[in-house]
Amino acid sequence: MTGPRLVSILRQGSHLIASVHTALDDTQMTAFQHDLVDRIGRDRSRGVVIDVAALDVLDSFATRTLRTIAEVARLRGAVTVVVGIQPDVAFAMVSLGMDTGALHTALDLEEGLALLDRIAGGRRPAVGARGGPA
Amino acid sequence: MVRRIVAARVDDAAMADDLVQETLVRVLAAAGRVDAGMLEPYAIATARNVVATAWRDRDRQRRNQHRVVDLDTPDPPDTELLASEERAAVAEALARLGDRDREALLAHEVSGRDTRSLAAELGSTPGAVAAQLHRARARLRVEYLLARDHTEPPTDRCRPVLLALSSGDRRRQREVEAGRHLLECDACAGLSQPLLDRAPPREDAVRIPVDGDGDVVAARQAARELAARLGCFSRTDLTLIATAVSEVTRNIVKFAGSGEVVVEVLEEPRTGVRVTARDTGPGIPDVERALQDGYSTYAGLGLGLPGARRLMDEFAIASEVGRGTTVTMTRWCGER
Amino acid sequence: MTGYRGQGTTTGGPGGLDGLDGLEGLAEDQLLPQLVAHLREHRARLRHEWADRIQLAGLLHAMTPQEMAAETTSVYDNYVEVLETGSVEALQRYARDLSERIIPRGVETHEVVGIVLLLRDVLARSLFEKYQRDFGLLNRVLDAYEPAANRIANTVAVSFVEERERVIRQQQDSIRELSTPVLPVRERLLILPIIGVLDRERARQLTEQLLNGIRTHRARVVVIDITGVPEVDESVANHLVQTVDASRLMGASVIITGLSPVIAQTLVTIGVDLSKMDTIGDLQGGLEEAERLLGYPTAGGDDGTAP
Repeated sequence: MTGPRLVSILRQGSHLIASVHTALDDTQMTAFQHDLVDRIGRDRSRGVVIDVAALDVLDSFATRTLRTIAEVARLRGAVTVVVGIQPDVAFAMVSLGMDTGALHTALDLEEGLALLDRIAGGRRPAVGARGGPA
Repeated sequence: MVRRIVAARVDDAAMADDLVQETLVRVLAAAGRVDAGMLEPYAIATARNVVATAWRDRDRQRRNQHRVVDLDTPDPPDTELLASEERAAVAEALARLGDRDREALLAHEVSGRDTRSLAAELGSTPGAVAAQLHRARARLRVEYLLARDHTEPPTDRCRPVLLALSSGDRRRQREVEAGRHLLECDACAGLSQPLLDRAPPREDAVRIPVDGDGDVVAARQAARELAARLGCFSRTDLTLIATAVSEVTRNIVKFAGSGEVVVEVLEEPRTGVRVTARDTGPGIPDVERALQDGYSTYAGLGLGLPGARRLMDEFAIASEVGRGTTVTMTRWCGER
Repeated sequence: MTGYRGQGTTTGGPGGLDGLDGLEGLAEDQLLPQLVAHLREHRARLRHEWADRIQLAGLLHAMTPQEMAAETTSVYDNYVEVLETGSVEALQRYARDLSERIIPRGVETHEVVGIVLLLRDVLARSLFEKYQRDFGLLNRVLDAYEPAANRIANTVAVSFVEERERVIRQQQDSIRELSTPVLPVRERLLILPIIGVLDRERARQLTEQLLNGIRTHRARVVVIDITGVPEVDESVANHLVQTVDASRLMGASVIITGLSPVIAQTLVTIGVDLSKMDTIGDLQGGLEEAERLLGYPTAGGDDGTAP
């Protein structure tokens, strides 16, 4: 469905790393959601990192899709962390008024994987599911 | 035949139309002066000249030059028919012009009289004559298109809209709500295509026809690019604009199916960009309510309108049930 | 050019100035050099006259007499030089230099314009005295002098205003930076003390700075201290919420400190969901909490976090 150029989904241990490489339209975004959720089920992943560093806009649809992915993943036993949201994109998202409260986020891929490890390590992450002991 | 000559040299339908018109106006006007048997060679020569001039004049030249091919002169029987149809269309279009317009146009285009001598003759000024010629050409283009397709405009709003488009008069286009009319009127949408293609691309505005998902991305990218060219917006500003455009464009796709987004640079009263998102969809029954959801309850009616409003400096929405919705929003440069 | 011939060709001005012989038959383009020579010759006297007028008008009172003397001398010399060369660039440069020196001393635009106009008048008057016996020549002299003099006045005024605007912009920028410093306290920890009133524009800049700071310093925890914010209304509260949310989107937790009970009550009344925010009374407590979140050992506990 989703072309390999738009997104890539790689497996690393018990985690999946999904990178969005370019702006996606709604159909592609939805296809990405289905692909990723399928992979989570097939691979029995414990954690998912979605890297959106390449996106210059995260509008209401994209944000809702990310929330949906996280929610479905949770029901399948995987924790989702969105990483790489750029400062201007973050600002636009909150200005838009998106409710992102339940979404786990980290600065970048490295931080995202570290966060997943902490969570998988049995420790609940600190405030708002971010931070926690380094 | 003329169309074929032109088309063989020009790979651009709209431009070909223009050149065919121009050729035929000249041929037709010369008909009285040229021996009947000479008409065809004359037409070919004129067509070549017109095309050659166009090549010299137009920037498109560079892009298309490699496509110019030499003319073979096989004349299948139907070309004569085609040419006579063209001629009839031009003749009819010319006939529909007012006498003064037609005479001025022919004197200028065919006899090669300049505006100064025409002005002297008419007791007018060269500027006024030039303006009259501009209007006459605009009208001729419209009447030619109508005559060629053997159509009459379905509503009495059509002609003013087509004229405003043909003359490239943006103020007039706004007055007659040309953009909206083109969304509503299929006949005009079709007829206007060559007129719109004719216009030189504007540096300070971009129009994105919206037809599906992909256009949401296209619209927001176009808006970001245009706004970035102004040089006065920060990266954050550009992202806010792009996000707002994304929201209003998605509304078009979601609720109306199709429409258009126009992004324009504003100079007055300050520098900024204005985004107009227009559709002829079902309309929003309760605009107030669509705009009035609380700060954090974004979902609301799912229109994304309050969000888009927060991202821009100015925001207006006009919607009529059954007729469609137009969202106009502006972001100004400055404050930093 | 008319074949004008002066009548009273030998009369000097009341100031005992030289005769007009040298001028009467001159072409128009030689008038200015002659004027310049005259202004150079009487430099000391005219400069004094000018300085007196400045004092009388109460201008430049922020300057000491020595500074006055130095500045008026250089302005005078530059002025005459521009009359001579017609080169406005040199004057512009000088005017900018001058402005840079005197703006910090609180010299106002009207003062600078005032002194240049006074100089113009002092010099015009001396020309008047010198040539008053020959009205026709006087007219020609003033015709040559006035446009040049006005151009100078114009140039100085514009340069001054430009320089002043530049200085003001610079000051505003530095004030802005000062008022919203993002301080990296230790690895992964930023403090953002907000002092003063938060309006829409400032709140926005502050958020942008913070978000960029989070990326630059790879911050995982941010402490926003609002002890210095006098009042919090609905829009400020919304900005705070936005800043907290945006920081979270970049993976940083936010702790808000300095929230007085009054402000906390205001926030609740406005409808801000404080449970979404991590608030701690004072900055010290906020820092301790931050270090705990980061896993540093703190005085009162281990590095674990109680759920």
